[in-house]
Formats: sequence, C-alpha cells, structure tokens
Amino acid sequence: MTGIERYVVPASLEQAVECLQQLGEVTILAGGTDLMPQSQAGRLKIKRTLMNIRRIPELKGIALDGDVIRIGALTTISEIMRNDLVKKHLPVLAEACDHFASDQIRNAGTLGGNICNASPAGDTLVPLIVLDAEVELASKPDGKVYQRTMPLAEYFVGPGKTRRAPAELLTGVRIPLPPAGHVARFFKFGTRPALDISAISIGIAGILNQGVMTNVRVAFGAVAPTPVRALHTEEALEGKRLDAATIESVANVARDEVKPIDDIRATAWYRKEMIHNMTKRMLDHVAQA
Amino acid sequence: MNVAEKTKTIQPDSLIGKRIPKMDAPEKASGKTRYIHDIDLPGQLHGKILRSARVHARIRSIDTSAARALPGVHVVITAADIPDQRPIGVAKDHLPLKRDRVRSQRDEIAAVAAESEEIALQALKLIKVEYEDLPIISDPTEAIKPGAPLIHPEPHGADGSHEHLKQGMPVAYAGKPDNIAMRFDYGHGDVAQGEAESDVVIEDTFKLHYVTHCCMGVSGIIAEFDASGNLLMYSNTQVPFLHKREFAEYLNMDPSRIRIIQPPIGGGFGSKLDIYPFEVICVFLARAAKRPVKMVFSREEEFLASPTRQPVLLTLRSGCRKDGTLTFRQVHTLHDNGAYTSWGATTPFVMMQTFSSLYRVPHCDYHTTAVYTNNPYAGSFRGYGNLQATFAIEAHMDKLAEAIGMDPLDFRLKNAQEKGEVTGQGMSFKSCGFKECLTTAASRSDFRRKHRENIRNRNTPDPVKRGIGIASMLHVGGGAKIYPSDGCGTILKLDDFAHVTLITGASEIGQGSETVLSQLVCEELGLPISAVTVVNNDTDITPWDVGVHASRTTFIAGNSAIGAAKKAKAKILAAAAKKFECPEADLDLRGGFIIKAASGEPLIDLARLMRNLHFTEKAELVMTTFYYEPPSKHQDKGFKGDVSAAYAWATQVVEVEVDTETGIVRMTRVTGAHDVGRVLNRLGIEGQIEGGVVMGQGYALTEDLTIENGVMRNPNFRDYKLVTAPEIPEMDISFIESMDGEGPQGAKGVGEAPAICIAAATANAIYNATGVRIYGLPFTPERVYRALHGKAEKPYWKPWKPE
Ligand SMILES: Cc1cc2nc3c(=O)[nH]c(=O)nc-3n(C[C@H](O)[C@H](O)[C@H](O)COP(=O)(O)OP(=O)(O)OC[C@H]3O[C@@H](n4cnc5c(N)ncnc54)[C@H](O)[C@@H]3O)c2cc1C
Repeated sequence: MTGIERYVVPASLEQAVECLQQLGEVTILAGGTDLMPQSQAGRLKIKRTLMNIRRIPELKGIALDGDVIRIGALTTISEIMRNDLVKKHLPVLAEACDHFASDQIRNAGTLGGNICNASPAGDTLVPLIVLDAEVELASKPDGKVYQRTMPLAEYFVGPGKTRRAPAELLTGVRIPLPPAGHVARFFKFGTRPALDISAISIGIAGILNQGVMTNVRVAFGAVAPTPVRALHTEEALEGKRLDAATIESVANVARDEVKPIDDIRATAWYRKEMIHNMTKRMLDHVAQA
Repeated sequence: MNVAEKTKTIQPDSLIGKRIPKMDAPEKASGKTRYIHDIDLPGQLHGKILRSARVHARIRSIDTSAARALPGVHVVITAADIPDQRPIGVAKDHLPLKRDRVRSQRDEIAAVAAESEEIALQALKLIKVEYEDLPIISDPTEAIKPGAPLIHPEPHGADGSHEHLKQGMPVAYAGKPDNIAMRFDYGHGDVAQGEAESDVVIEDTFKLHYVTHCCMGVSGIIAEFDASGNLLMYSNTQVPFLHKREFAEYLNMDPSRIRIIQPPIGGGFGSKLDIYPFEVICVFLARAAKRPVKMVFSREEEFLASPTRQPVLLTLRSGCRKDGTLTFRQVHTLHDNGAYTSWGATTPFVMMQTFSSLYRVPHCDYHTTAVYTNNPYAGSFRGYGNLQATFAIEAHMDKLAEAIGMDPLDFRLKNAQEKGEVTGQGMSFKSCGFKECLTTAASRSDFRRKHRENIRNRNTPDPVKRGIGIASMLHVGGGAKIYPSDGCGTILKLDDFAHVTLITGASEIGQGSETVLSQLVCEELGLPISAVTVVNNDTDITPWDVGVHASRTTFIAGNSAIGAAKKAKAKILAAAAKKFECPEADLDLRGGFIIKAASGEPLIDLARLMRNLHFTEKAELVMTTFYYEPPSKHQDKGFKGDVSAAYAWATQVVEVEVDTETGIVRMTRVTGAHDVGRVLNRLGIEGQIEGGVVMGQGYALTEDLTIENGVMRNPNFRDYKLVTAPEIPEMDISFIESMDGEGPQGAKGVGEAPAICIAAATANAIYNATGVRIYGLPFTPERVYRALHGKAEKPYWKPWKPE
C-alpha cells in the first residue's frame, strides 16, 4: 500500500549521487528513526525510490583532517558519544549525545539524519552551531561529483526544510578544532531526563580568558522554526567580563531575543523564562569553573 | 545410606514470606509468552474500526460501497447492518456502532473484516461519512448549566415531536433530559453541627486530570463461532464470568453458548473491567463473516479508545478543633463522565470510603455528580477514585495541622483509625495497622526532623529546595461485595505422581496470582511450588469468580485455594491413617511425604500413597472443590455496610527536590509502610509495590492525557510521558503484618494500595519545600514553575449538586 516502486542500496558516494540525479524522486534512508515514525503517521510520504545509504563507506567515520574534525553523515549518535576525538576536542557534542533519546535510538540514529530532519529540537544541532560546524553536500549534476560546504547555522530554512537541493547528499560535517581556552556548554530542557524531545535547548561557546568571553556563539533550539543563532545575546556577551551583572543582562537579552510558540510541550512564556533562567545558570557555571 | 535415609526426619519449613519468582517469569523473560497478538487462527480475518472524525456531530450519511468493493474485504458493517444491537455499559447508554450521532472522538461508526490488516485499513479510508457538527461540550461545569446542549437528547421524530418511548428504556434509546449521568449522595452525622464545633474550617477545590493505563499489551480480541453457533472469544478481560453473562445480553445469546479464553494478558490495572464497543463489534464481524475475526489495537488507538482514570473537580470543606480533633468533612465532586458511562462514574463507591473512614470524622457529607460531556469516557483504574480522594484529604490534613500549629504526624496519629472501630459508613476494622504504618514510615524517613528543617531552608539562596510529605490510605483488602457474590471457586486435583492441578476462577493479569495461589496450596500439602500447574483462563473449565478487581484475588481466591487444599489434605491424611493404622492427627504432610507429625519422620512419599489410593479395589482419586464467599456485607441504599472482609492501610512518605528555576520536581525517595496483613510472596509484593509507586509517580509528575475541546492531543508515548528508569526514586518499603483473622495465612489485598498516596504525599512535599500548594495535577515543570511565580490560577468550583 506504500507508493514505493524501487529500493536502491548504493555502494559508493558516486553511485548515490548518481541515483539522486537520475531518479529524481528519491527518499533517503539512514537510521530510519525519523523517517519510519513520520511515514507511519502519515506526516511524510516516501517517494517512488527509497535509497538506503547505509552501505556508503565515504559517509562513515570520525577523523582529524588538518585542523578540522570531520564526522561522516552516517556516524551514529552512540559512535559520536564514545569517540575519543570527540570526547577530547568536542566534549559539548558528546554531552548533547548523552541527552539524546535512548540507547536503541542512539545506536540507529545518525548525525546526518538528525541534521537533515531539521527539527528545531534536534539535539546535535545547537552544539554543532556553536562549534561553527559546516555541512558537506555532494552532487553529480553533469557526470562529475561536486562537493560544497555551508555553515550549519545557515543550512536550516524551516521545520524539516533545509538548503540541501533534492539531488544533493549530505556527506558529513566539518568542525574546526577549538582553540585553547575554548569553553562550550549545552543544556537540554525536557520534562524528564531520558527519552524526551527538548522543550528548549541552549548552546553557549566562546574563548574564556581571564574572566572575559570572546568569539561568543549562542544558539537556541525549539524556540523558533529552526535552531537559531542568537546574535543579540552573543553581542551582549562578547568581550564582557563574566560577572553577575553581565550574566543577568545577557540572560535578559536572551529572553527578549527568542520568539517561541505555545505547543503541547510548553507555552511561549515558559520557554522564554527557561531561556532566561538556564542561560543565567549556564553562564554562572562557566564563571565559577 | 539406606539406613540414614530411613531415619532422616523432615524439618518443618514454610513457603510463606519467601521470595518466590513468579511462575510465568521464565516464559515472559524469554519472549515465549503468546499474547493475543501472537495468536492466529486458521481462516482468520482482521477487523478494523472506523472512528469518528468529529467530536460531536450528527451523522448525515455513511457510504461503504467503495470499501465493500475492495478485493480482500469480507464484511463492512455499520449500525444499519446490526438492527438488533443493544446498548452496553454501566448505564446502558452506549451503542457499539453509532447510529445517527457521534458524541466523542473515539466513537465507532463502521467496521471492516478483511484478509489482512493492510486491506482493512485501506477499506476504512474508502468509507465516506457526512457529518453535521453539533456544539461541543468539553467542560463539565458547562454541561450542568441550564440550557446546555444535551449529549443524549431524547429522540424526536421527523416532525420534531418527542417520540414517546416506553418507561424504563435505556438511555441509548430514551435519551436524558439533562447531562447528569449518575449521582451519589452519602452522609453520616450532621455537618452543620460539626462546623459549629470547629475552631478552624478550610475549603479548597482540587482538580484531578486524565491519565490512562498504558498497558504494555494493547487491547485485543479474537471472536469465532463454531458450526453450531457457539461463540468462543480470546479476550483480555479481567472479569470473564461477568462478561460471559453481559456478552450474552448484548448479543442476544444464551450465556451457556459463550466461552471465553484469556491468553496471557499484557497488563490490566482495571482497564479490562468493562466491555467496550470494539469487543462487541468484533463479534458482529465474526458473525457476519462466518470466520474468526481478530482485532488488535494500535498504540494510538489504545490511547484514543481505551478508558481513562476519572477526572474529578472536587471541593472539600473540612474542620477541626484546636486540640487536633477532626470535626467534619463536606465533599462535592463533579465527575467528567465523558460521552458514555463506564466504571469511572462509580468511583464514588471508593472515594466516599476514604472521606468517611480513613480518619475518624464524626460528620461527613458527600455528593458526586457525574456529567456527560464530549470527552473520552473514564473507566476503572487501579485505586478506583482513591488517588483523587486521598489527594484532597491529605492536603487538608496538612493544612489543618498547620492552621492549629500541630505537627502533621501528630495530627494524623490523633485522628487515625484503630483496630475494633466501626466507622460512620459501617466499615468494621478487624485488623488495622494504620498507626504503625504512620510511625514506621515517619521514623524510617526521619520525617519530623526533615519536615522542620526543610521549612527553615525555604529561604536559602540555593534554587533547589528539598521537601518531604506524608500521606496515607485506606482501601478494601478483603474483596468488595458489590455483586450478588464476591466469591471464587477452586477445583484441585492430585495425579498419580502427586502433581497438583489448581483450577481457579481467578485470572492472572501479571499481578502474580498464580504464584501466590500455588504457594498457599503447597503450604497446606507440604509440596514444593514446582508441584503445581495452574489453570485459570477458560470459562468452560474454571469455576466462577467475580473477577480481578478491588485488590481481591489473593484474599478471595487465596482462601478458596486453601479451602480446596485443606479438603485434599484431609482426604490424604485419612487414607494414610488407615494405611498406617494411627489417628489422622498424628500425621502431617511435609516435603512431599506423609510424616509423623511429632517427629517429622517420613512414612511414605505422597506420590506412592496417591497410587495406592488409586490402584486398589476402592480406586479413589484426590479431587476437591471449594467455593469461598467472604463474610462481607452489601451496602444499603445509603452506602453503609461492611463491604469488605478486611481493610488495608498504608502510609507513604515522599521526598522531592524542587528546582525553583525550572519547576522540575525530582522524586528522590519513597518510604512506604504497608499493612498487608501478612507477606506471602516477598518478591511478588515488593514488585507490586515498586510498580505501584512508579504508577503513582507518573500520576503525580509526568502523565497527562491532554484533551482540548474533546480532542486528545497526545495519543502517543512521545508526548504522553510515562516515568522512565532514571527518574524512579529510591524506595524503602516496610510491611506491617497485622495478621488478619479472615485473610489467607493472615494476608490482605495490596494490588491497588501502592499507587494511591504518591500524588498526595508529593503535593505535601512540594509545599514543605517551597511554601506553595498546588491544587491540580500533574506537577509538570511548567505547572510548578507557574505556581512558584504566582502565575497559576487556583481552581475554584462552587459546591453544587442537583436538586
Ligand atoms: C523514540 C525516539 C526518540 C528520539 N529522541 C530524539 C532526541 O532526544 N533528540 C533528537 O534530536 N532526536 C530524537 N529523535 C529523532 C531521531 O532519532 C534523530 O533525528 C536521528 O538523528 C535521525 O537519524 P536517522 O539516521 O534515523 O535519520 P532517518 O530517519 O534515516 O532520516 C531522517 C531524515 O533525513 C534524511 N536524511 C538522512 N540522512 C541523509 C543524508 N545523509 N543526506 C540527505 N538526507 C538525509 C532522510 O531522508 C529523512 O528525511 C528520536 C526519535 C525517536 C523515534
């Protein structure tokens, strides 16, 4: 009763982008942890071709490439959480993965899936944005494989919508190695500690030198149609000494900056309150550390 | 070697109080249990139901032609195809297939039986229904206003004239002139006098929400007619014998031609105590298709179309004297019945017991009005109204104590019931460990010290505040005589190898009854638990039982099993006495042997004796039967009477941490003391209590079935939040063994008890931590945060009852 006519399992990146280019109407399947529930619930219709990308070697693995850590799109949440490079250089990402779903979902769900699903509550997105991650996209428009990159912060257009063209495949993300003095924090607010969709999430990063934050990045999840960078909040914090007065004023800016909605998980008012209180708490912790 | 064997004596031993793994655990843990989902009959079709797309509407037309034409579809039925369908439910206000009107989102309009589930689902999509929307009533306080649209209007003819129907017709045909489904009025003493004698009087409204059972095994049924027209149902019911009779009524059949087999049930908790439309519809499909039809819910359907716990709006007025004596209690509740009446409407039976009799109250006045709305309808759910009642009472126990400056524990001890008391409602407490529950739970949790300290620490700068709260409960523990009989039958047989088959009317729904009943039988017969096979799931085999409800199985079925085992033992000892030419009193059964009672010396193994008995001239088998009827009484018209053979008590102390900057309440510790009469299976009772605490925790903190204008917003486990493993608190559970004189080996029921006080104690703990009292559930972060920041509206409902 589904409308799927064809199932393809490319064995290389080239084959995959070839398929995307030639077949047109393709739905990409990675871990399936978003795709399956969404299609079962009728919220997403699987197109005529279902393409399983799990056998593509180029999409796997976490590696250091000069001063960039590359994480392949097929890397599972569990793999990220356990990876030594990630734990050493990007602990905030490992922490976010530790708040992600349950073991079963983490073993199946991939980073690429989390990014391409483009939920405003996707838990790896906020930490990746504050880490200045870029996405890698591949395509084969004219017989040759092209790669382009784009800052993750610019990738999202709306819930479930990204700047990825239909013939493009997300191959991985590239994260610059954080410099000395870099701090990054992630906070996920759900109503229970496990298996919950974020009602809000907060990522804060920057370089802390003698109590002053520079190169500040702040991003919020689940307060807008996409995960968002909070430019006013960043500005309020940039170059400031992390004292009680700064922290309070930054938290106020954060509260004013977000424009969340009411939904089944929380009201807009409460989301704004949490953005304020938790931004403050996170900065307090950074200041005390 | 032989000599040593012969002179060996068998030491006395007991199974009572031991940790005995549940008999069904290996099958369940290894995934071998065959639930209803796993059963497929040859030739079986799959049934699916089309539910209403509207909350309240007139059905203008139903077109099933395209669905009927779909290949693989065998039968499509609507109300028009079943002219003889009869109303179901407690108030007979519910036709399984709706005729001209849908009254809630779950309403059944049509059903399909097809070769596969996929085809059946496809067929549902082809059914076209035209609706004409009617105004939606989703607020019970609106439903009782004069002139409110009616949920079950009296039917009128095409010309608008009232169709005069016969007196005494069920609501489903005759309608109702108002939205009042049921009412309950109870009283003892004189509340006006009680109020006059009070030094302090308080009144508050409490608002209790919707939650649902979330059984791991979803609802399902397989129905099949044999060639002679006999009906066999594979059903998850908790009450097979009552249902056999009821199905006969709904299907216009002779009850003796209906057989119910219960496959292992994946959780009940009260949800399987009523007959629901899908069950009757599945039988209609099987009848029309002349094939077995299987119907199993999806998880979403389970949320939408199974019953909820009863949501309640409750205004409580209570008073006490300065010395801490309670003076009176006045209760008005508004029960949101939903569109139809199921057991939820009757929870006042239990609620009024708590108001009238948990503490000594000289004057009590209780009124419930259950009103029709277009919301989901409420059924029975573990605790049966007691969670709601206890929530209100225990809030007032704290508030009254504070108002007169008395320690909350002392205040409770002063008013707690004791053994020997007969309450205003006529409940007679033959065993009662209430005070011991209070003192044990309080001392093991260091309640008094922490309670005082937490109040002192309310104003410290730490945003996380600690709180401790106490609450207690009274619940029936020896059955509840609400049907003509509250009994249970047992058939027991021993074979030639002394293997016991225990045939009991009592159903197993995961509570561990098979194990406890086997234990009680083995205790009498001196056998290991492995010597028993339990047969408990077939109405054509097992003797009658009223069903699994009211925490009654251990008590009632236990006494019944003991009765049958005692008769078997008497027969065995009589035979042995004859063989060994000694008085029966000199003999006993132990370790699989007939022994000399005084020395423990084995005389013959039981299996040998069984064969001796069987293969002789007289040729006898050991087969016994017993029917146990508890010595409880039916209540009179005023709800007075000693309705249970025993009463169970418990106190639970809950400790929390409240994050005042997020509103997150973390339950850190639960200290419980339960008067269970006596512990029979320690492992089983611990599991029962731990599970119940977690269910109570979900009710208190996370679970919230959100209904907006009649529409369920969260029919899935993503948005309906059950408690997950990391949130489960540390637990310290004590058992108060009051050794009930009527109970099996002294035991009383415990099934519902552990879920009852948790929300009430949590409310008190949050107050202890923050000084803020929250009158509505659940304590989700946002609700708590709002309350802490003065942004929550305190519920108020002006006490009301129909004239
Ligand atoms: C029970 C449960 C709990 C969950 N909890 C969380 C949680 O706590 N936090 C959270 O963030 N998410 C959660 N999720 C959502 C989901 O698990 C994650 O978003 C996961 O990362 C998706 O990865 P996947 O590989 O399963 O994606 P899939 O379902 O395979 O794909 C998701 C989408 O991305 C597209 N896609 C996948 N890979 C690519 C690619 N390389 N290039 C282009 N398009 C691609 C697919 O076509 C599809 O549209 C939960 C899901 C479930 C079922």
